Amino acid sequence: MLQFFKNPNYDIVGKRRFTFILSMVIILAGIVSLFVQGLNYGVDFAGGAKMQIKFNKTISAEELRARFSENGLGNPEIKSSGENEYMITINAEDSEDSDEILDQTLSGLDYSLLQVDKVGPKIGSEMRSNSVKAIGIALILILIYITVRFELKFAIGAVIALAHDVMVTLAIFSFLQWEFSIPVLAAFLTIVGYSLNDTIVVYDRIRENIKIHKGKPLSEVINLSINQSLSRTIITSLTTFLVVFVLALFGGQVLFGFSIAMLIGVIVGTYSSMYVAAPILIAWSHKFKEKDEKKK
Amino acid sequence: MKEYLLFCPKQQDNIEQNMEVNFGMSKNLIWRYLFIVVLLGWALYALMPTMQYERLSNADKTALEEEGKLFDLESKIIKRGLDLQGGMHLILEINVPKFIKKIADHQSRAYYDFMDKVDAIYSENPELDYLDIMLEAANTDSLRLSRYFPTENRKTDNKAVTDNLQKECEQAVVRAEEIIRNRVDEFGVSEPVIQLIGNKRIIVELAGIDDPQRAKDIIHNTALLEFILLKDAEYSQDIINRIDAAVKRTSPGDIAQLDTAVISNKVSTDKEISVSELLGLEEDNGVASDSSVLVDENLAAERPFSALLRNLGWDIGVPVENYYAVNRILTDSEVTRVLPNDLRILLSGKTQKVETVDGGTAEFYTLYFVNREPGLTGEAVKEAKAELGSVSSEQMGQPLVNVRMNTEGTKTWARLTGANIDKRLAIVLDNKVQMAPNIKSKIPNGRTVIEGFASLQEAQDIEIVLKAGALPAPIDIIEERTVGATLGADSIERGVKSALIGMAIVALLIIAYYRGAGLIAFGTLVLNIIFVLAILASLRATLTLPGIAGLVLIMGMSVDANVLIFERIREEYLKGKTIRSAVENGYSRALITISDANLTTLVTALVLWHYGSGPIRGFAVVLFWGIVFNFVSGYFISRTVFITFSHGKKPLKKLSI
Repeated sequence: MLQFFKNPNYDIVGKRRFTFILSMVIILAGIVSLFVQGLNYGVDFAGGAKMQIKFNKTISAEELRARFSENGLGNPEIKSSGENEYMITINAEDSEDSDEILDQTLSGLDYSLLQVDKVGPKIGSEMRSNSVKAIGIALILILIYITVRFELKFAIGAVIALAHDVMVTLAIFSFLQWEFSIPVLAAFLTIVGYSLNDTIVVYDRIRENIKIHKGKPLSEVINLSINQSLSRTIITSLTTFLVVFVLALFGGQVLFGFSIAMLIGVIVGTYSSMYVAAPILIAWSHKFKEKDEKKK
Repeated sequence: MKEYLLFCPKQQDNIEQNMEVNFGMSKNLIWRYLFIVVLLGWALYALMPTMQYERLSNADKTALEEEGKLFDLESKIIKRGLDLQGGMHLILEINVPKFIKKIADHQSRAYYDFMDKVDAIYSENPELDYLDIMLEAANTDSLRLSRYFPTENRKTDNKAVTDNLQKECEQAVVRAEEIIRNRVDEFGVSEPVIQLIGNKRIIVELAGIDDPQRAKDIIHNTALLEFILLKDAEYSQDIINRIDAAVKRTSPGDIAQLDTAVISNKVSTDKEISVSELLGLEEDNGVASDSSVLVDENLAAERPFSALLRNLGWDIGVPVENYYAVNRILTDSEVTRVLPNDLRILLSGKTQKVETVDGGTAEFYTLYFVNREPGLTGEAVKEAKAELGSVSSEQMGQPLVNVRMNTEGTKTWARLTGANIDKRLAIVLDNKVQMAPNIKSKIPNGRTVIEGFASLQEAQDIEIVLKAGALPAPIDIIEERTVGATLGADSIERGVKSALIGMAIVALLIIAYYRGAGLIAFGTLVLNIIFVLAILASLRATLTLPGIAGLVLIMGMSVDANVLIFERIREEYLKGKTIRSAVENGYSRALITISDANLTTLVTALVLWHYGSGPIRGFAVVLFWGIVFNFVSGYFISRTVFITFSHGKKPLKKLSI
């Protein structure tokens, strides 16, 4: 039988100080980056117009840019998205009369509009507040579910791990200034679900092992549980990673943002369920044990 | 530790025994098989129309359409989202500020001051409710809103007035939805989605649109048709003088800045045009009678508005380059407040070409000074028909719309034309003058012809909107998403390709790792996808591109259930248990984990379902059903297969896992 790990026994919880610091550093840097340069909101959230246009004759991005600035559209973002195909983004202020301006700008050219996304600034800001609400509600529901099924400390560990995953992925999107769109947001919520999946599998083992190995120190039980579920974690993460990778490669530009966010999320989610969610239980128990002892 | 287990591990042994009793019996297995067969039968039945449809060629489709069976078939296949089949998604919103100004009754200087103030607050805080701002501003200024917006029941407190306005807005949106529905029906789009969201917005979704711009115009143009008498020339001249004075007095700096580009441009290109032409109307007043002076910036500064206009003899022309400058001056609140209440200033919808002194041509819009109250509106229209002018008529070959009025309209039309012979009447569509003919004689039969269209198609679009009626309020498009049919087809191709490659990779990986058991896992994964597609077809849910991404993702996730089970079975097997009890233990222990893990993902899928729109909702739907069917195929069916192999009459000697 093919096995990735034969009786694995890695000291995972022992490295928790190091991994906590690593996560904290990335998250803090991410927060700084969010304050300094923020997120690169796409038209979904910032408002504006994004058009994918295919031309039937060769035209350069420079030529297009010149046409746009002639017609009073200062400096739209123009990216090539294929052969004689461009993705043109106009910001919210300039996009109000974009229909007329576009007609003028492109008059005389043979082109077809492949895709147009035009979002008013009002809708954009509504989307932002709705998204924050959606992620918040998802986290609260999960907190309730795990508290009912496990214990509060498990729930808090899980939610911290999820918040960790969202923050780290957000940090990467902010560092690299990748476009933050609605599909990326959907990926974030999926990451929450996926990472939770991982965390719960580990928690389940911990819960089971606490009963089997009574008297053993918690950190040992947790380490054992992580090791026991290690091959499952790796196989599942690997398959999910691979299918999402296929999506990123072949899914086209519409799904690219989603796939990239998912790829990062799968890695971060796997890491967090082993190195964040479980070790937090130890930190939590230590704290309360001290309190209990003080009471006595 | 608190215990809230669905399946308490302490009773593990009992369960094991029970299972041997229960599932060991072939009778029980038969029920399992029966359930699976019924499920598979349903899935194939649900997917049959889709498979049939996919195999149809275009010719087949036309044939079916003629038989009237295509629609029936199309209503049973998996519905494709706009991002996959191409189409247009619009969110429309009533423009509350414009609507309220439209229904304002009494307009005074205080009214303009007040509305300017409200507009200023609103433009800084667009997230606030316009009516709330109005109410608060009116209360702080101790202003009585009922002076400008009389209510039905003559209540005078401000709250009652804004409540009433709120009601009128809501009613306007409801009526707008009906009218848009009529227009779309006339336009002819299959399965359009038109629905109200909240009390201010309307969603419109049209699949397979060739010309999005045209569809957009038909949907959101107000289509208010008005027949309005023109003011006479002297009156118009007086108004021009007033505007000149107002522009000069209020903000000469601003206007100079605004129009320097336009004005200097004009000086350089239109040198031959004389002042008498430029300020032609002023000749009558003897203000600027020296006729050969060129336009310069000083003169433009002196009479900033007139300097933008040209005398075209019969009409007042606005050179195309000056169009925006003129429009801006006319909508400036400093200008509007010096104008009399019974006046409207309109521009033509189209330009006309006029020969200039030097023999070239220049393009002009036409400026009209008309009564505020129309003599007749589009409500009088009973029938409209677009066509090309007949050979014998003056409008030979010209696109035009023949209008026939209802009884009441016919009466009003006869009275209006009869009383104003030799006067000019503007036929106005959405505040743009289509034409302004001289009334030659009384028209008693309630017919009229509207000209001034660029093409027959434009005339046909006007026919549609005239038939459906005018929108009761100005409507803005606040979100627009259009996907071309080619991109949609491309997306399907990419999505299917990704799904197939993803499936192949998962199959390779899992069969290499788990051998025979991996094959079972792969089979259940394929079943899972089939079930999800079947439920999409049955529920008429929409498959979007993110939905296809969801299918790819649930492949990864449904493998997880099997991995959890197999790892458990392996563990038990390696501990030395029999195949049979290893399998039983693996399945029953893994169930707790699988339920916990999947139920939480279900929670996020539901949140996405609720908050997402369009394509994202498509993703949530697939994710949701993917998880539900994961229990069926990834757990129940795979378990049945395992039981068959390990409990059967010839149990396996060796576990291929």
